[in-house]
Amino acid sequence: MTSDNREEFLNFIAAKAERPRHQLTDHPFVPLNDLPETTLADKTPAELFALAKENSEAEHVTFKTAATADLPSVLDQMITDKTAQSLLLPTDERIAAYGLTDWAAQVAPRPTYWDPAGSRTENIQRAQDADLAIGCVEFLCAESGTITVATTPGQGRSFHFLPKHYVALVPQSRIVPRSRQAMDWYDTELKAGRLHTSNINFITGPSNSGDIEMVLVVGVHGPIDMTYVVLTDK
Amino acid sequence: MEKRGGHVYFAKKDTDAVNYITNLAKEKHVQRVVKSKSMVTTEIDLDKQLLKLPGMKLMETDLAEFILQSDNWDEPTHIVFPTLHKNRDQIRGVFEKLGYTGDNDPTRMARFAREYLRGYFLQADMGITGCNFAIADSGLINLVTNEGNADLTMAIPKTQVVVMGMERLVPSLKEAEVLDNMLSRSAVGQKLTSYCSFSGEQVAGESDGPEDLHVVILDNGRSNALGTPFESVLQCIRCGACLNVCPIYRHIGGHGYGSIYPGPIGAVLSPVLDGYEKFGDLPFASSLCGACTETCPVKIPLHRLLIKHREVMMDKLKTDKAFNKAIMKGIGMGTAHSDLFQMALQFDHSATLPFVSKKPTTVDNLYNHQGHITHAPSMAKGWTDVRDAPRPPKHTENFRRWFKDHEAQKGASNDDQ
Repeated sequence: MTSDNREEFLNFIAAKAERPRHQLTDHPFVPLNDLPETTLADKTPAELFALAKENSEAEHVTFKTAATADLPSVLDQMITDKTAQSLLLPTDERIAAYGLTDWAAQVAPRPTYWDPAGSRTENIQRAQDADLAIGCVEFLCAESGTITVATTPGQGRSFHFLPKHYVALVPQSRIVPRSRQAMDWYDTELKAGRLHTSNINFITGPSNSGDIEMVLVVGVHGPIDMTYVVLTDK
Repeated sequence: MEKRGGHVYFAKKDTDAVNYITNLAKEKHVQRVVKSKSMVTTEIDLDKQLLKLPGMKLMETDLAEFILQSDNWDEPTHIVFPTLHKNRDQIRGVFEKLGYTGDNDPTRMARFAREYLRGYFLQADMGITGCNFAIADSGLINLVTNEGNADLTMAIPKTQVVVMGMERLVPSLKEAEVLDNMLSRSAVGQKLTSYCSFSGEQVAGESDGPEDLHVVILDNGRSNALGTPFESVLQCIRCGACLNVCPIYRHIGGHGYGSIYPGPIGAVLSPVLDGYEKFGDLPFASSLCGACTETCPVKIPLHRLLIKHREVMMDKLKTDKAFNKAIMKGIGMGTAHSDLFQMALQFDHSATLPFVSKKPTTVDNLYNHQGHITHAPSMAKGWTDVRDAPRPPKHTENFRRWFKDHEAQKGASNDDQ
């Protein structure tokens, strides 16, 4: 069952439109302006940080900062605050890079990991059982308070959606003006073959809905709350 | 998409798409389907066809769509807020049938739906989503949600089906990013919605995400817009901004349109997809205030297209092309040539005899030339159905003859002086 009817379909459309079939590569798309690139592009890192904080908090995010040395105590505090009975971590080299290896070995509750060798059912069940997940993300977009993360074998799709509470760790150097800069990076990495992923998530705050009387409800299918921890020395 | 291992099916009609998906479900022995909100699957009425399969369980997971499904498949009223027509007490009533015992607080009701649907997600073997944008160069599907249900639909089941209108294509991730920003702002006033995801079939090493991904690209009448003035309606990104500013939509609500695409966009799109017989009234359901055109983020000239629909409809359905046209042409010729016109004046009195009322006249008019025409043929019938037409005078009594005689008399009397 593949696209055996593709030619017929495309020819029909071309005939209807009275335009011959053509390829985008023959006449690349030319944007009318460069606003996606230039908006906020002139901000200093300090200004971007302030914007990121303001816009994240507007999206019901708890916004925290920590130097790498303080990170374990910040995370401990969070486990206490959320009375988390179970903890999920990614199998990701950034955990070590953020100096969390020792912390992860002794933290209570004992963390479970999203396991690249684990089965679909095992990993999904771990995410479902987790009260708190601590994820490593690539970027924080200042304009919208959005974190961006590509799925990896050690940090799957459900990792960001099934746990009840969610913490995202992001280096301060990875705060970018807008979603455009993040997207440029993914686009380049994908096309260069350096990034192997089936999924990129742009996540802005906890899940929410206005479906009942347009009253904003925070926490529907995904995490019911969300914390960003910006690593000030990374 | 195919390079990434996915399957693509081009469906010309709604039934083609439904057959493909139901066959796939049968082939894979699918028992539990989760769906995330998708206008296009409502358009092709997929849910009900899938539920005809024996043993099939299907669950809409968007909070609003879940409420509609639980309320015996009520119809959506808004593109972005499908349950706009229900208040919290009505929703509590719907949920109570599912075992909810709490009050009418939206947060508590949403938590109930979360728990209820989580069970379904974890057991689902097929996920069905729509598609906000499909990215041509990387073969990824872009979905935009606030609740996170689409992402769970794309993460947990082994098989995923994406149903997309054929106009949803963008060249690359960059254009998708621009449109996601635009969509979020126009639809709900957010800078970005909670979840914008770009995803395809699972790659080696990953443990969740679809192992088998099928994308159904649907025409279903969209090609009717191609090569016509309505082509720009295919630019629509389904933000619903035109609904929110429309005075007609605000008065009649979404159900009044009788189509799953309500509001100004629905009034333009529905006749394109399904024809004027079914949706011909919609282009007239407008004050033509132009607020929709003003607000549209992708610059569809909505109110102009509504006028265009009226024009096309008048031309196509109401204008009598054959007989009346010939008659009008005859009249044009007769009035343009003086010989023919003179001839007509000679015979109009006697020629109208067959159409004159046989009944005696009860009230005499000042202008009366032996009866009134009460049943004229052809185009004039419309007039004589409701009122009498005076019969033309005899040739010897008509105005031109009178004027000629009058002038002659005047000339004679002038000569006398």
